[in-house]
Amino acid sequence: MSKGLDKLNHIVVLMMENRSFDHMLGSLKAVNPQIDGIDDQMFNLDDKGAQIKPQLLADFQGQLNPDPDHHFPAVDLQIFNGDRSADRQPTMKGFVTSYFHQRRDTAHSQKIMYCFKQSDLPVLTTLALEFAVFNRWFASIPGPTICNRAFAHYGTSFGRVDMNPFDTIEPFKSVYARLISATPKRSAKVYYYDTTSSTMEVVNLLQNQPELFGTYKQFLSDCDNGLLPDYSFVEPNYNDHETDEGEEVASDQHPDHDIRAGEVLIAEVYMHIKRNPALWQSTALLVLYDEHGGIFDHVNPPSCPPDQFTAPANSTGTGMEFKFDRLGVRVPAILVSPWIPKNTVVNRVFDHASIPATVTRFFQLGDVPRSPREQNADIFIEPNVGPIDPQRNLFSLDVLRTDCPEFGV
Amino acid sequence: MAIIPVPKPPKKAMSADREVNCLLRAQVEHLQHVERRLPLRYRSSIYTHAIRTEGEAARYIGEVTEAIHEAHADAANERVKRARPEKGRSKPKAKKAKNGRGK
Repeated sequence: MSKGLDKLNHIVVLMMENRSFDHMLGSLKAVNPQIDGIDDQMFNLDDKGAQIKPQLLADFQGQLNPDPDHHFPAVDLQIFNGDRSADRQPTMKGFVTSYFHQRRDTAHSQKIMYCFKQSDLPVLTTLALEFAVFNRWFASIPGPTICNRAFAHYGTSFGRVDMNPFDTIEPFKSVYARLISATPKRSAKVYYYDTTSSTMEVVNLLQNQPELFGTYKQFLSDCDNGLLPDYSFVEPNYNDHETDEGEEVASDQHPDHDIRAGEVLIAEVYMHIKRNPALWQSTALLVLYDEHGGIFDHVNPPSCPPDQFTAPANSTGTGMEFKFDRLGVRVPAILVSPWIPKNTVVNRVFDHASIPATVTRFFQLGDVPRSPREQNADIFIEPNVGPIDPQRNLFSLDVLRTDCPEFGV
Repeated sequence: MAIIPVPKPPKKAMSADREVNCLLRAQVEHLQHVERRLPLRYRSSIYTHAIRTEGEAARYIGEVTEAIHEAHADAANERVKRARPEKGRSKPKAKKAKNGRGK
């Protein structure tokens, strides 16, 4: 038995935008050597042949303009550095070359190697050190946002590696549909920031099931009033806009939005859960990023069992088909709960298909059809039935922690 | 444990005139894909090909998102009306066309 799993009733996922693990958390290797961050042996070559190492020079805003390319062909270049041979292996040496292609500016291309200092990101780095940080959480596809977020909702992108609208394909249903049609019925909500920011899951979820959606304000209120559903997916503010209450700065951390707005968002989500004692002890909060946004990371994305869909050669931009048999670039991912020991570092491999896989298993939604990628994805919360493997259970404490951090938001 | 301060972005971080990024461009396209299926009275008058800035994209995103919710809410209300007893009920009036939706 696990006391933490016994108490757990809510899973909250907050998915941010377009930053790599090394860019955000790479500096933490100096604090905890178990965290697989940056060191001075890593480098990419620039167009002049100079070795460009990751450096702690990232700025909050203004540095990554133009937005680094993170479409499928560009990510292929970043991972394989132009090698198109049949037996190629990832090298993670093509990031500077890829960024150079966008502005033909040697000095600017080097900024793709820049990482944040620990002190720049007090929220994200504190949560990583205080709870569980994943050393091997990868984007689901070496490609852009929409198809990667689809894996978090459906466990597959239905064969898409791009940003175009897609329709879901039977029999794979969204994790939300699985929850609300389960017996006993479960509850689920996607909280977008507001209608002016809206959601990235327009064509299927918003169009067909708008009742699934709530706003960020409602999320905060649901936390305060103990009304959070079993499963919540929180989307950040994707754009700068005016409201009746004033200016709303984008908080998604997508380049070139200010990183600090995202730090405030993460802290608010955490603190609103923490301030409700009943919710705090019964909730797991996963904070992660949809993909790396074209920014350097040093860990080779591993191969994986293929999905049942194939992206044809004329849709990938590389001239090669993609069987969804390799993960994307590594992203920051942190699991928060007062039942998780401080300084937990997880080395198992995860990707966004792990989200519906975990929710489906944990809430015992039955034998629902799941994509091959989801079936093969590891889970980050063990189902609380039968004997629990202590090596896999992250909610391992017998006594609720009282030393968890507090943020001034 | 001491409370950890969280710096806020400065005023200058906000720029509704920033060039729209590829993510927002895609979001606009997805919403336009859905908007084409909405009855005419719910559609926006914004020309999406002319959207250049984040502020312009935000306005369109907000209008169409609200319209999707409104169209579903109206359909649900009609469903409720249809389910009521027929006695004394008049035929529902067609909704007036809307122009210049949103703020």
